[in-house]
Amino acid sequence: MIREENVESGDLLQGTLEMLVLKALARGPLHGYGVAEWIHQTSQQLLKVEEGALYPALHRLELRGLLEAEWGASENNRRAKFYRLTSEGTKKLNAETQRWARLSAAVAFVMQAS
Amino acid sequence: MSPAMHEFLGRMKRLFRGRRLESEMADEMEFHKAMLRSRYLREGMPEGDAERAARKSFGDQRRWQERLRELWQFRWLENLVRDVRFSARLLMKSAGFTAVALGTLALGVGANTAVFSMINGLLLRPLPVPESDRLVVLNYQAGGPQPEYIFCTPFFRGLEKRQDIFANVFAFNSDTMQVRGRSGNENIRGVLVSGQYFAAMQVAPLKGRYLNPEDDRTGGSSEGLAVVISENFWRRWFEGAPDVVGRKLVIANTPFTVVGVMPKRFTGVNPTERPEIYAPLSVDPIIDAPRDHINAGTHAWWISVMARLKPGATLEQANAALEAVSTPILRESADDARYSQNEEKHHFHFAAEPGSTGFAYVRFVFHKPLVTMFAMCGGILLLACLNLASLLMARGAARERELATRLALGATRARLVRQLLIESLLIAVAGTALGLVLAPLVSHSLAAMLAGNADGMVLDSSLDMRVFGFAALIAVTAAVLIGLIPALRATGGDLNEQIKEGQHSSKARERGKWLPRMLMASQVALALVLVAGAGLLATSLVRLYRSGVGFDPRGVVNIAFSMDKQQLEGDQLMELYRQIGEGLRTQPGVKDVSFQYIVPVSHRGWNDRFESPGGEKQLIWLNGVGPEYFRTMRIPVFEGREFGWNDTKASGLKIILNQAAAKQFFPNGDALGRQVVNSHDKASYEVVAVVGDAKYRDVRSPAPAAAYVPMQQATEKKISLNAVVRMEGPWGPLAATSRALAARLAPAIPAPLIRPMDEFVDTSVGSERMMAVLGVFFAACALLVTAIGLYGTLAYATARRTSEIGIRMALGAQRLRVMVMVFRENAFVAAIGCGAGLAAAMMLSKVLASFLYETSPRDPMVFVGSLAALAAVACAASLVPALRAARIDPMSAIRCE
Repeated sequence: MIREENVESGDLLQGTLEMLVLKALARGPLHGYGVAEWIHQTSQQLLKVEEGALYPALHRLELRGLLEAEWGASENNRRAKFYRLTSEGTKKLNAETQRWARLSAAVAFVMQAS
Repeated sequence: MSPAMHEFLGRMKRLFRGRRLESEMADEMEFHKAMLRSRYLREGMPEGDAERAARKSFGDQRRWQERLRELWQFRWLENLVRDVRFSARLLMKSAGFTAVALGTLALGVGANTAVFSMINGLLLRPLPVPESDRLVVLNYQAGGPQPEYIFCTPFFRGLEKRQDIFANVFAFNSDTMQVRGRSGNENIRGVLVSGQYFAAMQVAPLKGRYLNPEDDRTGGSSEGLAVVISENFWRRWFEGAPDVVGRKLVIANTPFTVVGVMPKRFTGVNPTERPEIYAPLSVDPIIDAPRDHINAGTHAWWISVMARLKPGATLEQANAALEAVSTPILRESADDARYSQNEEKHHFHFAAEPGSTGFAYVRFVFHKPLVTMFAMCGGILLLACLNLASLLMARGAARERELATRLALGATRARLVRQLLIESLLIAVAGTALGLVLAPLVSHSLAAMLAGNADGMVLDSSLDMRVFGFAALIAVTAAVLIGLIPALRATGGDLNEQIKEGQHSSKARERGKWLPRMLMASQVALALVLVAGAGLLATSLVRLYRSGVGFDPRGVVNIAFSMDKQQLEGDQLMELYRQIGEGLRTQPGVKDVSFQYIVPVSHRGWNDRFESPGGEKQLIWLNGVGPEYFRTMRIPVFEGREFGWNDTKASGLKIILNQAAAKQFFPNGDALGRQVVNSHDKASYEVVAVVGDAKYRDVRSPAPAAAYVPMQQATEKKISLNAVVRMEGPWGPLAATSRALAARLAPAIPAPLIRPMDEFVDTSVGSERMMAVLGVFFAACALLVTAIGLYGTLAYATARRTSEIGIRMALGAQRLRVMVMVFRENAFVAAIGCGAGLAAAMMLSKVLASFLYETSPRDPMVFVGSLAALAAVACAASLVPALRAARIDPMSAIRCE
């Protein structure tokens, strides 16, 4: 689902992608392309989100009420669908962030064991 | 809002705004692609390459747009819609099959729903009053096998007085009231109710107040006699006048004050009646004059009693309390110590039973016929389902290859079963809908047949939630019954084998042969049971009619005059009757006119004890009749003479005996001119004639010993008589004439009621007639359905064997042999079914025994006839496919391969 550029391909869990999407939207509304770009840039070009995974994730989150969508004008003045976190989404993002911190710390402990 | 809820709402939105969401999705993709392209351009790619790169990075748009779509839809729902469409298309394609299926099912469902709605109206529907489940019906055990429900006044007043047992105890009795209108008196249906009746019903009056214990005191409350009327009566009689409360109503020549109006939904405690006037119980001596049920004490049994339980009290507690007061009430009620001692010996006690559906005496009469009818209908429905199941199975077998192919292409078995079930569900739902349309028609005619039996009975067989629930239950049960087995079987086979051998797989046919055969055999058995039952009922009805009633009811009309509330009495009243007789005699078509007190076979009666000098007391039935009665009724006069107008009280008491009575009193056959003595008042009567026996109370019982006295010698002062008129041609015009005659000669009396005599005979055998008519109808349907089933399954099976038969013929099989081979398949099934059916019918026919008249429930002729009918139908249904098989052309059958 997420292709890691220059790294041997390895799938990340679907939940992780959703977490990244929520994180991308934490700073303000973005359209789908913007979300993909932001993740790409912020991950130092390590993570590239495929469109075929991004949009189902966005729509799934919208369907569950974690995101709200609105049509507006993009930076180059085209009609685009902007996604914004709802309060439910913010709550979910906070929970996911904590979960991720615990998980990655745990994995780090294991991997660093000698 | 929870995410799940959000998801559901989002999907619902898509259902209705699907197109818009779809185009938005496309827009979103388009935007994304454009952004990608502009980025590539920015990065320095040439125009063409950028376009290509964007498309490549994007992947197959349709594929993941599909994924988005899936996200947004109710997957199961849309699959369902697809299945329904597909099934509907398949059913349309085989219109013949669908029509048969719908027809049989509609019949089964229609009949069942109709009878159920009647059972619902009569037995199940709770009274429309608050907390109807707190109501109880009171009865008493007095040594008989059944509890008694008709009380005398002292018993009831004793219970009413003891206020610690129930919240309310109340009594009621339906009555006809003579209400003075603009032109004389009119008969209005009413009910006499005791003081706590309305308090127990807890239904607020539409206007004014309801009756209370004050109104139920002798002479009424301080405001005088009070009545409450129904909303209907208010609108009809008072034209909805807003000031109706306080207005006067003259009932039985006595002024009453209207104190309240009850709303339309209130029907009283008897769901089969719609009383228009509610009067206090204590006014019975006025309304029923000259009879008086209240002061007759323990000699008048006339009211039904119900009660409302105290809040929190149980039925058991109430029963225990009733047990304790039974003997005290019995002792204080009886004016004759011997009576109460006798009753105490039989452990006399009151008891309460659940009464949420109110109390209707007709229930005792109609309970059994209705339940029997329901069983018959259930049989028909089961037959329809079995039939459809076997037809569907035959069809499923023919579709084996289609289904196997679909399985091979990746459809799951569950999906196929679901689709096949949807097919049967479609049939079931459509059939049920059709049946529901038919049901009210059927139940109306049935209710009319039943109601003819009980005067003025209202049977509300309208469809309510309970009936719809029942119909839905039937539809689903039917769908599963008819669909599941065929569906599981059709999809259960080994895939490879079926595709390889396809429709010519002989193994598959052998494997599953027993199931359809068993279904068909049980159909035949069920049909035989229904046919035999109908045969018994019809034979019994024919015998009942053939037995005759002892008089000739055809062409005789009965005109009932109510004289009890007008001024004339005694000889003056007789003179009035004579004038009415003269008036009727001069009408066109009228041949003979006479009068009778008791209408024969109307379930009414009058009896007394007589003795011949030196003989024993005999209880015989009596009737008061007019001159030329026997000529009018065509009852033969064996010896002696008819009564005449001169046979008055002054000319000496006369009596006419029927043959049975003459034989009882005078075994030596010299009755004429002898005396019989009334054992009560020792009055002596001279026998002036001996006449033929006639049925008395009903058609079923044999003609009893009976005697006739001249109507002029009646003891009742204001006797109400019926004119009997024998006439040629239609009796319709006589209705208007008799009304005009009554209005001229006796303006005070209500309009006379006119009814042909043969209608009395028909209603006397009403439930027998209805059951026979229904039984024969159902039996005919059962035969038809069975024929269709036998024909259909055999035709399918034979069609699938076309090439096999072709090969057999090519190898030299005779056409006759082929025919026999095909025919044999059904003959075997039919024989087994007949055997099983015969055994079942023998066992079940006992249930009908109580309805049968001079017919044994194992009447051999009926059973042989039913067997013959079924055999004939089975042969006819099997012959057509057999003949068709014999006509197969071997060459074309083999080439077809």
